[in-house]
Amino acid sequence: MINIPLVMNAILSKNVFEYVLLDKSLNIITISDTLNKYVTVTPKCGENILEYFSELVGLEEILQEILVNPSEIFTLKTIAKNNHYIDISVEYYNESTLLMLIQNITDVTCSQQKLLQHSNESLLLNSTLQKILDNQNVYIFVIYNEEIVFANNHFMHYFKVETIQELRHLKLNFYKHLDYTLNSYHALFDRVNSKEEYIVVENDTFILQASLIESTHQLFTLTKITNLSNKLQYDTLTKVYKKEYFKKQLEKLLLLEEEGAVIILDLDNFKHINDKFGQKIGDEVLYEFATCIKENIDEQDILARWGGDEFLLLLKHTTLDNALLKAKKLCLMIENHTFKSIGKLTTSLGMAWTTENDTLHSVLLRADKALYESKNSGKNHVVLKMLKKSKN
Amino acid sequence: MIRKKILLLGDFNVGKTSLIKRYVDDAFDDSYLTTIGVKISKKLCKIHEIECEILIWDIEGATPSKKIPLNYYKGASGAIFVTDVNRSETIEGLEKHKEVFLSQNPYASFVTAYNKADLLTTVQRENFVLNKHTFLTSAKENENVESLFLTLIKEMLS
Repeated sequence: MINIPLVMNAILSKNVFEYVLLDKSLNIITISDTLNKYVTVTPKCGENILEYFSELVGLEEILQEILVNPSEIFTLKTIAKNNHYIDISVEYYNESTLLMLIQNITDVTCSQQKLLQHSNESLLLNSTLQKILDNQNVYIFVIYNEEIVFANNHFMHYFKVETIQELRHLKLNFYKHLDYTLNSYHALFDRVNSKEEYIVVENDTFILQASLIESTHQLFTLTKITNLSNKLQYDTLTKVYKKEYFKKQLEKLLLLEEEGAVIILDLDNFKHINDKFGQKIGDEVLYEFATCIKENIDEQDILARWGGDEFLLLLKHTTLDNALLKAKKLCLMIENHTFKSIGKLTTSLGMAWTTENDTLHSVLLRADKALYESKNSGKNHVVLKMLKKSKN
Repeated sequence: MIRKKILLLGDFNVGKTSLIKRYVDDAFDDSYLTTIGVKISKKLCKIHEIECEILIWDIEGATPSKKIPLNYYKGASGAIFVTDVNRSETIEGLEKHKEVFLSQNPYASFVTAYNKADLLTTVQRENFVLNKHTFLTSAKENENVESLFLTLIKEMLS
């Protein structure tokens, strides 16, 4: 007959494991000496283990099944018991006996508990900060290494996503909304840092601001000013930009020494329409004309009303040939269009191509002269006025 | 005597330990000490002349990165799912907790505690749709704690 306690004590590390041998009914056969520290009353042989280890209540069937499945081991980890933390495992010992091992893991669990406490408090703090940011009436996103690593709910909902991962999959390239030529968030940051920029996304206008977070992360905030912007920037009759906005955009283009086409266009014989059909019809025609043009230009192009029936058009990120082609197509499109109130109309267009020495005044003057030439040469066509090359 | 095992399940810091402390010891402690692993408390009760020892498993709260060991769930007769009414994410996670629990104990009873209700305004309270298995609870103010446990225990014993 094997001396079980002797064997067990020899096998198991001192003070690390305690053991109990149990019969089929989970009654105690034998028990290690040091088990007392986990229970208030010393267990005796023949008593049921559930009286001392209520952790096993409800598991009777599972434990008894181990006797017919010797490979099974049932484990309960990290049980707080009588000021200790223990792992309990129950396994097959022989066909009528179960071996219950108790491992004291108090020291390591107390260390883990401190870490868990710290981690959970951090999670709570993060969650609170996230809620604060989500409740701000601004759109916030943070860039690290050219990727969006944080965005508040406003920003994500605007782009109809729920998670940062979805946002990344969209490949927003948000910087393109400010300027088509920008090719990175780093470039966007350099452009916006310490100042405000207006940015148009879809049909909304925002003020964009940027700041650094610990030199590695760039924080961008967007304040939606669509309603205010609409009132300030858009012409109430034609719903296209006002000339002030156009001038700002043209100034920016010239400042950045980018090329583009400036076009002044108006309806031929518009005065006659006003005189014949009245101002109300005249206004309807202007609205319809502006809408037609707007629908046939690109998103980055800017159409503005200069005054009366004169409109300004800025074609960006294009070549001279393409801009001229587009202007001719617009002219033809208006000629083919039937206006609801009055039928057919035509338009004349004067176009100037910007150069590096141009000013706002010089380029507009050139486009205006081109329009004048178009009017004087039969109307309903485009005249391009290039800057005369200097003899130097 | 009948012994029944019930679990308190939910995200971390929703007040599982506080609900147990209120129910078992009629006490409340405002400080937050994270539960690690599981701690079992006992409560004797008598329902319809049946004496019963309830073993209440206070289980470490789930976090996005740490799941509850499945062996904790085994052999449970009931569960109380606990949420914090002030943290919507803990309410959104409720179904996941139920799903895991019922996968291990398909015939077990359960109730739900919308805890920390003392922090709600009257109007906010009215927004909660409650039934006989859901309770607005406050361990701090001892609101509905007894009802929560007794409802579950009665269901388990019926």
